[in-house]
Amino acid sequence: MRVFVNDRAVDLAPGMTVRHALLAALGREPISTVGVYDAWGQLLGLDGAVREGDRLRVVEPEATVQGEGL
Amino acid sequence: MKTFFSLLVTLIALSLPVRGSAEPRTIRILHVNDFHGFAHPVQAPDMAQPLGGAARLAHRIAQLRSERPSLLLAAGDMIQGDSWANLNSGAAVIEFMNLLRFDALVTGNHEYDFGRETLEKRISEAVFPVLAANVSGVKGVQPVTVITRNGLRIAVVGLVTDDTPETSHPRNTRNLHFAKPLERAMELVRELRGKADLIVLLTHIGHAADRELAQSLSGPLSAAPHHSMRMGNLLIVGGHSHTRVEHPVRIGSNYVAQAWEHGKTLGVIDVVVDGGAIVSLEGHLEEITAAGGVGDPQVADLVKRYDERSTALLSAVVGTAAVDLVQEGVRRQETNLGNLVADVVRDTTKADVAIVNGGSIRSGISRGPVTMKDVYATLPFDNYLVAVRMSGAQLRDTLEHGVSAVERGEGRFPQVSGLSFAFDPSRSAGQRVVRVELGGKPLDPNREYVVATLDFIAAGGDGYRAFGAAIRSAGDFSDTGGALHSSRLAYNDPGRWLRDIVADYLRTHAALAPALEGRIRKVR
Repeated sequence: MRVFVNDRAVDLAPGMTVRHALLAALGREPISTVGVYDAWGQLLGLDGAVREGDRLRVVEPEATVQGEGL
Repeated sequence: MKTFFSLLVTLIALSLPVRGSAEPRTIRILHVNDFHGFAHPVQAPDMAQPLGGAARLAHRIAQLRSERPSLLLAAGDMIQGDSWANLNSGAAVIEFMNLLRFDALVTGNHEYDFGRETLEKRISEAVFPVLAANVSGVKGVQPVTVITRNGLRIAVVGLVTDDTPETSHPRNTRNLHFAKPLERAMELVRELRGKADLIVLLTHIGHAADRELAQSLSGPLSAAPHHSMRMGNLLIVGGHSHTRVEHPVRIGSNYVAQAWEHGKTLGVIDVVVDGGAIVSLEGHLEEITAAGGVGDPQVADLVKRYDERSTALLSAVVGTAAVDLVQEGVRRQETNLGNLVADVVRDTTKADVAIVNGGSIRSGISRGPVTMKDVYATLPFDNYLVAVRMSGAQLRDTLEHGVSAVERGEGRFPQVSGLSFAFDPSRSAGQRVVRVELGGKPLDPNREYVVATLDFIAAGGDGYRAFGAAIRSAGDFSDTGGALHSSRLAYNDPGRWLRDIVADYLRTHAALAPALEGRIRKVR
C-alpha cells in the first residue's frame, strides 16, 4: 500500500503501521517525541494502522530533522 | 452456552417495543481501544509524565461510572502487544476486563494473533460479549449485543477490519470469513433501527474508515419515497488507527469517536436519547495520569500477579547453548549468534535467504542453559518477520547497502542465512560486494529469490530500500481460502515477535552450537 508522509510517497506491506511509514520516509526510528497527525490534524500513535492513501504529517523537534527523507 | 444465553437475551430485548418519547434519558459511554496489554503506565510523546496503567484506568472508570449509568466498551486490539499480555496469550487482559465488568469487546485484527483456538479460549473466559458481526467461523463471537441500562435499550454491533487475513499469519484466520464492514453494518442497522433506543457501532476498522461508515450510514433507511427514518443517528466507537479524537466528530447524522491507544486516555461520551434518536451528545478524552493515586487496588494486585508470573516465565530455561553465542562484532562481521538468528528467520519463513540487521541483536548469550530473559535481552525490539520476492540484482543491492557503513560499525550490517558473500571494505560504498553465492552457485541477478527479513528493514529502517522497491510492485494481494497470495509478499506475520520465535526454536532444538561458516568474508 502507498501512504504519504509529509507528501512523500512510501510503500508498505499490509499490516504495517505509522511507525513503518516513518521508517520508510526517515530511514530510521522516529524519536520518541515525534508528533504524527492524520489528514484531520488528529494525533496518531506510532503503532496505529495505516491504509492506502493515508496522508500523515510529521512534526519533529527542529534539531532532529536532518536525516534522510523529510 | 454463554453465547446461546447472550443471543437469547438479545432476541428477547429486541422483541420489546422501543421506548416512546416520554422523557429524554442519558447514558454515558466509556471507551478504550488498542490497549495492547499495556498494564503499566507508558511515556507518551511530549508528555511530562507517563500516562495510562490498568489500575489507574480502573480507578477513573469507577469514578465516572458512579456519576451516571454507563456502558464500558473496548474497540479491539486489547489482548496482544506488551509482554504483560503476550506471555500469557492475552489471558491477563481478559481477567482485567472481567474485573472492570466491560460491557462488550469487538475483536481487533490482533485478537487473532494467537490463533483461532486461543481466541476462542479467551472468549470463553470473558464474562462480557465478544463481538464481530462481519466475521464467521469463530466460536463464541456474536454480531450484536443489546444492553438495557437506565431504561434505554442500546444495541452494540461489532465490526472488524476485513483485511485481517492479509495482516495476520494465514494460520490465524484459516477457515474464517471476513465480510465487508459497511455491508454488514447496513444490514444490521436496518434490522435494529426502531428496535433499539441507541445503536452503537463498536468498530476496529480505523478512523478514516469510521468516517466513511458514518457518511454512508447517513442516508435514508429505506429507498421508499417519503421515508422519513434515517439510517443514521448512530454512535461509532472505533479503534485500529490509534487516533486521538479529542471530541466525537459529527459526520452526517452520526458521531465518530476513538480514544488513542494503550489506555493512555479514556473516552467519555454522554448521550441523551429520546424516542430512538440522539438528542445531544458531548464527549471528550481524559488522560489517565497519576492524579488519581495508585489506582484500583484489585487491579493493581492483578497486574502484580501477572508481573510475577512473567518474571517466572522469563526465568524459565527454554533451551541450551552448547557454545557461547557471540554478539560482539555483529555490526562488522559474521558471528555465530547472527547466523543463528538469521537461520531461525529463514527456517520460519521458508525463504531462500534471510537478512537480519546486526543492530537488532543487542547482547550475547553464554554457553549453558538459555532463559527467556536471555532471549529477550538479545532481541529486545518488537520486530516481526516479512519475506519478499526480489530479483538477484535487488538482493545484491541489499547486501551492498548492508556493508556500506561497516567502517562506522552501524546497525545495518547484515547477518545472513542461505547465502555467502565477500566484500572489500576498502572500496567505495556501493561497490564493495565482490561475490555472492547461494548453494555454491553465483547469485543470478535476473532470478527471483524469496528474501526474509525483519519488518524494520522491510519498511526501510537503517536505510534499506530494496525491500520497499519490491513491495512497491506488490499491489495484487488477495485472500483465497484463508491464505495470502501476492506476487511479491511471501510471508507476513505482524502478530509474532522475533524473540518469541527464537525462544520457540530453542525449545524445539537440542543444544545449539552455531558456528562461523564463512558466510561473510572480508577481502582486499
